[in-house]
Amino acid sequence: MLRKIFLPTILAILAYGFWISPDFKEISAGVAIFLFGMISLEEGFKAFSGGTLEKILQKSTDKLYKSIGFGIITTTIMQSSSLVSVLTISFLGAGLIGLAQGIGIVFGANIGTTTGAWLVAGFGLKVKISAYAMPMLVFGVILIFQKAKSLKGIGYILAGLGFLFLGIHYMKDGFEAFKSTIDLASFGGTGIKYLFIFTGIGVFATVVMQSSHATLVLIITALAVGQISYENALALAIGANVGTTITAILGAMSSNIDGKRLAGAHLIFNVVTALIAIIFMQQIMHMVDFTSHAVGIADDDYTLKLAVFHTIFNVIGVAVMIPFIDKLVTFLDSILKDSDVKTDKNYDSAKYLNDSVLELPATAMAAITRETRHLYDNAFEIIAHGLNLKRSNIVSSKDLDEVVSEPYSQSAIDIDDFYNRKIKGIYGEIIDFSTKAQSQMPPEYIEVLYNLKLANRDIVEAVKDTKHLQKNLVKYSTSSNEYIREQYNSIRRDLAELLRNIDIIGTTDEEDVVMLLLSKAKLHTEKYDIIASGTLDNLIRNNLITNEMATSLMNDSNYAHEISKNLIAMAEIIFTDRSSDAESLSEEMAITDEEIDTILEKEDK
Amino acid sequence: MGLKKFIKSVKSTLGLKDFNQEGKKKSLKELLKKLNKRKKSITASLKATEDKKEKKELTEELDIVTLQIKKGKKILYKLYAKK
Repeated sequence: MLRKIFLPTILAILAYGFWISPDFKEISAGVAIFLFGMISLEEGFKAFSGGTLEKILQKSTDKLYKSIGFGIITTTIMQSSSLVSVLTISFLGAGLIGLAQGIGIVFGANIGTTTGAWLVAGFGLKVKISAYAMPMLVFGVILIFQKAKSLKGIGYILAGLGFLFLGIHYMKDGFEAFKSTIDLASFGGTGIKYLFIFTGIGVFATVVMQSSHATLVLIITALAVGQISYENALALAIGANVGTTITAILGAMSSNIDGKRLAGAHLIFNVVTALIAIIFMQQIMHMVDFTSHAVGIADDDYTLKLAVFHTIFNVIGVAVMIPFIDKLVTFLDSILKDSDVKTDKNYDSAKYLNDSVLELPATAMAAITRETRHLYDNAFEIIAHGLNLKRSNIVSSKDLDEVVSEPYSQSAIDIDDFYNRKIKGIYGEIIDFSTKAQSQMPPEYIEVLYNLKLANRDIVEAVKDTKHLQKNLVKYSTSSNEYIREQYNSIRRDLAELLRNIDIIGTTDEEDVVMLLLSKAKLHTEKYDIIASGTLDNLIRNNLITNEMATSLMNDSNYAHEISKNLIAMAEIIFTDRSSDAESLSEEMAITDEEIDTILEKEDK
Repeated sequence: MGLKKFIKSVKSTLGLKDFNQEGKKKSLKELLKKLNKRKKSITASLKATEDKKEKKELTEELDIVTLQIKKGKKILYKLYAKK
């Protein structure tokens, strides 16, 4: 309802403003051009945030100071704390970083965003900025029309900067002309009342423009021509800092619970920082004067002093909040609970798939990979129980014969029920999400996505085959006929070995271990095939098992073979580092069927 | 000078000509180092053990690792040959 009234009201106010004042029109056009520049700039940086992003992110955010540094640097380069916040929510949604790391990045982004004020106050107002804008726009637009992704990206960045500069130019001109008709400074004042009023205006302006950067530029240009007083400009800057959290909150709406918690942290941080700035306004102003004097800023250079103020109060905010990050995480965990959790706790659903990760192809891909691993975790449980084995025993270092001798249950478990509760829903969500993600992905990602879909199918097939295998497995693994019992327990042991090896593959960082275990698994799949090895023929020929047993064993051996093949194919896709050279190497160095035969022949001799 | 020619000369000046291949070579060398280390440790374990079952398993691992080292070296030679 509010949204329905909000937009027409804003449009009506603007239209009326344009009608009564051409200068107001020029300032508004400046803001609009500036915002368009921000959109273009964000588009340009997104073109460069590809596969290496995940690596950089993991290496540069493992410690708090690194997360803060990452936030400062990325925001300084991209000149948009909103973009950094939205991307951080996307990383968080995909499970690439934790909440504490995300909070660190957002804190850093708050310091990084203060460089914008320095650039505008120190450079934008001191030179004829529009002279730079025109060539940037021309070069930028030419590059946007290029086919190469990187050139297109550079084009968007150049055009974005061009529009930013042009926007600043129009705002500056507009305010200068405006001064001759209305003196806005006469509406201002000093004291606590005006401090709160102007903070409120700063919040409102930023919510409307969705960019604290735009608000700050507007404040600086107005301050430069004396349309607002220095004190009121400081209050507006505080308001802009609070207002910017709205962008993160809107971005978090489509995110998972961690994204919402991050937006909550952003809001708390900015509100606390604003309160500190309001309460200690006089002291901070003294600090600004002292710092400005120390770095050689003139006493009457209020625009640069505003930049100093903006930096100081954000740095104070970060310094104050750093010791409370862990408490903040605990607090947000307790007040923002996951509403997606189904009422029936037995039903599992997707953990990483949410619209916020669609922001970048890399985060979407990371989320699908993690969700596939989640699906495999559930499948592991079902397969282990289907084989009547304890999951904890499989992943332990216990001897496998001992693992097989300890049954999970005396009766067969209901695999259909497990499948419906822990596989079907997640699998459906992954396929649905992949289709959605695919439409926004560049061609180089499509093949990887296709492989991930295959891995999901392999997992589901393995679970289905376990269901078929289970029917006779419970019956014959405790049979009085020692030969059939031995064969079925051998199937259980071989599959337990495979599950254990996949568990090691999934947790190790050593690529040589991954390669060795995958090759070993392939070799064992063929080695333990009782039809190919002649074991089954031997049992039938010597009348060691009945015909019924032979038929069951033949079918079940086939199911076990298929389960192994599917799980190995899945492991090759989801547990190899797809962003490195190691992936292509493990593909090239994987043992072939002929090589498997050669090794098996050697073993038989 | 054409754009392609210009990019080519910049790449060769900065040594970026075989950037992808250089990365692959480096990864492969690292991998071969690890595989050789593993081969040594398997061989040592094989000599130390008396258990038949363990011996069989270690021999199998040794065969796989030897095969992978052979394949890795072949890829590395090919990469150098391309240069």
